[in-house]
Amino acid sequence: MSNPFREDLVSRTRPEACTVVIFGATGDLTHRKLVPALYNLALDGELPPGVKIIGFARREKSDEVFRQGLEELNRKVSRNGHDDQVWASFAPNIHYHQSEFTDDDGYKRLAETLDAIDRDRGGKGNRLFYIASAPEFFDDILSHLKKAGLNQAKEGCWSRVIVEKPFGTDLKTAQHLNRVVSQTFHERDTYRIDHYLGKETAQNLMVLRFANAIFEPLWNSRYIEQVQITCSENLGMEGGRGGYYDKSGALRDMVQNHLLQLLSLVAMEPPTDLSADGVRDEKVKVIRSLRKWDTPEKVAANVVRAQYIKGSVSGKVVPGYREEDRVDPESMTESYVALRLMIDTWRWSGVPFYIRVGKQLPKKATEISVHFKSPPGVLFNTTSMNATGGNVLAIRIQPDEGISLRMVSKIPGTSLRLEPVKMDFQYSTSFGKASPEAYERLLLDAIAGDATLFARRDEVEEAWKFIDCIEHAWHQEGSTVPMAEYVAGTWGPKEADDLLHEDGNSWRRL
Amino acid sequence: MDPELGQEVPVDGIHKALRQLWAQDEARTNACLINLAVYSEEKGSLQKNSAIVRDLTREHACRALLIEMDRGAKDASIRAWITAHCHLSGGKKSVCCEQISFALTGVSRGRLRNTVFAHLTSDLPLILWWQGELSPIFEERLYAVIDRFVFDSSDWSKPHVSFAIIEQALSSGRVLVVQDLAWTRTYHYRLAVASLFDDPLAQRALPHIESVEIEHHPKHRNSALQLLAWLAVQAGWRTGLELHLAVAKKHGNREGFSFERKTGEAVAATLLSNESSAPLGRLCIRGGGMEIVIDRAPQSSHIHMRLSVGDHVTESLAPAGCDDCGMLIGEQLARGGKNSLFLKILPMFRNLLDG
Repeated sequence: MSNPFREDLVSRTRPEACTVVIFGATGDLTHRKLVPALYNLALDGELPPGVKIIGFARREKSDEVFRQGLEELNRKVSRNGHDDQVWASFAPNIHYHQSEFTDDDGYKRLAETLDAIDRDRGGKGNRLFYIASAPEFFDDILSHLKKAGLNQAKEGCWSRVIVEKPFGTDLKTAQHLNRVVSQTFHERDTYRIDHYLGKETAQNLMVLRFANAIFEPLWNSRYIEQVQITCSENLGMEGGRGGYYDKSGALRDMVQNHLLQLLSLVAMEPPTDLSADGVRDEKVKVIRSLRKWDTPEKVAANVVRAQYIKGSVSGKVVPGYREEDRVDPESMTESYVALRLMIDTWRWSGVPFYIRVGKQLPKKATEISVHFKSPPGVLFNTTSMNATGGNVLAIRIQPDEGISLRMVSKIPGTSLRLEPVKMDFQYSTSFGKASPEAYERLLLDAIAGDATLFARRDEVEEAWKFIDCIEHAWHQEGSTVPMAEYVAGTWGPKEADDLLHEDGNSWRRL
Repeated sequence: MDPELGQEVPVDGIHKALRQLWAQDEARTNACLINLAVYSEEKGSLQKNSAIVRDLTREHACRALLIEMDRGAKDASIRAWITAHCHLSGGKKSVCCEQISFALTGVSRGRLRNTVFAHLTSDLPLILWWQGELSPIFEERLYAVIDRFVFDSSDWSKPHVSFAIIEQALSSGRVLVVQDLAWTRTYHYRLAVASLFDDPLAQRALPHIESVEIEHHPKHRNSALQLLAWLAVQAGWRTGLELHLAVAKKHGNREGFSFERKTGEAVAATLLSNESSAPLGRLCIRGGGMEIVIDRAPQSSHIHMRLSVGDHVTESLAPAGCDDCGMLIGEQLARGGKNSLFLKILPMFRNLLDG
């Protein structure tokens, strides 16, 4: 039966009452992101009535102590501040469930708790399992959910799972994890989260491309010279991050998921519709069309890996990567990677896509820039045209979300001199209201059953296939692919600049 | 120089004066997404509306055109002021929005259109917020240039007459989006009703609803009627013969209406006017063993929602939205849309309004 009062009220898929079970509930992600996101949804009236939250973790804790810890952090990090009245109504819906991830009895008790909640809610047994634990527990949690029958939705209800990154560490582990997930949940109920896709500008990419008639006709190799995607961080391995990072590296930690997702949004064909599969069908085609760098020679020619050495960032002296806490002093893990990617499709033939991502760079910024070809230099002085360059459309993902277009203009005066000028659109300037946090949007989408902003199984596996070739060339015995160095606080190694110089290009200055 | 309205400028020098204003300080960013015109015939409205626009521009970058019209004055005159409302964006950049204020006196045909609207920022939508009673100024050649027409029917002494004019504007064939702030006030109640009826037990009781009660502040009867009209239209209730007796059913602060469900049974609706109520206070829907109560205490920022079906009880809080007109406009601007739902319920609302 449908709800006639929903008609024409809001233009998004309707979220339904459910119980959200968070595995790894004592972790940072739950305290800093997930519960504040759910709280802010409640504050905005977006969360349906009757949503319950169960934190599942190993430590001994009461409901009250769990809630206190969440409240303490919510006061600090909540986007819309902390309202005592709303928290007082929100907090009783949060419960703590103590259990080992491998304890059958713990899941049995969880099932009983969920059934009791469903009874109180009038039989509505929707469940959303959020696996936010350390990756080594993913298998155990999924198989125990199945064993306890929690993967099976009751009639007329749903049972979904959100899996946090990293979704595997290579193709083999991703396939294994996908197998375990698919043995437990249907693909339609599986939500592989990539919080970059929840960011406003990432969502705006499709709108920019397909709702504005001026861009799409130019969005191809005829008019576009190159595309650059940069994700820079001005942090290193603070807070013990080195332990995880040294096993992963920039390529696996950032490129396989976030940056390839952004790339696919930039390069995809228009989807037939805006359904989750309509969009994801087109995104996966982009990943599948990436030219494989499958020999050490090709990797050496198209990929630069590097580690930072001692330098200074934001005026502070910082150690080199190999001197960082919990990092192997002989580590061969890259803290920086730059790639030249080629998409072998009709639309993108011959257009290089450059990606760079790194730690201890001068500032934190994520940006996509589309560089258009220069017009023929027949009318204006060729030298001045070369000095100014072509049009650049820059899409800033973070911070200062927005879009700018660089154009060439005449400098006022009697002589003909050309200089670039910038048309700038900033979300914060144009829309004073802050955008919801990525996790708010993504959690609400998962509750509403909209998987558009989540990665599908084939997307993840295709991305790993591409990444694995590079990792293999790097780590095979006697690898000839060098590890470059860059001074912390600079924009990366000289080799990364050379990668673009070979094509007559250079990195955009951020 | 007026402390609120800024620098007085000759009407034919507005453009030049605005350019000079920006030339004074290069560190500022001029932001504009819409043209927002605010029309009032109330004396002193320019200062009041300037303060509203200052708050509004924190979230909605616009070029504001404030218009105060004194139609009773003998001589036709026009004065203009310019200023900018600046706010720190993210604690760093000063983002400013221009404001041009016009004081017009006397009756002179077409001045609003020809003089005031000559200062719009091109290519951006024009939103006209009309304050107070509709006057003869609101005529076809005016609404032909407007993209969105915002008014607050709670200000109208004869809403049935003014709504007839609105319907005439809507039927003119122009693309005009109309927005009644009285309708905007019902938004969070509608969301609350919708979310409570997501519950399957509530949905099961929907065909058996027997009664609706809405408590409202006397000034906000139109909001209550629009909420009732929406419930009736969405639930598929027809107005029964008894509706013609609705006026007769008015006793003191109570008004009675009756509807007919699809299956022919009656649904009784009561509006209760209460001086101490929030604009919309308590909404109660009963029938089929279900009771829904959506309640808001005066001045409260949240509404309390409660659904009970037998032993099954759910309770939660939801935002109440705002009461202030300026903030309602902001809420409306953030939401946008063509407001087709309002047009859908308009005939039923007018039916109830006319009794």
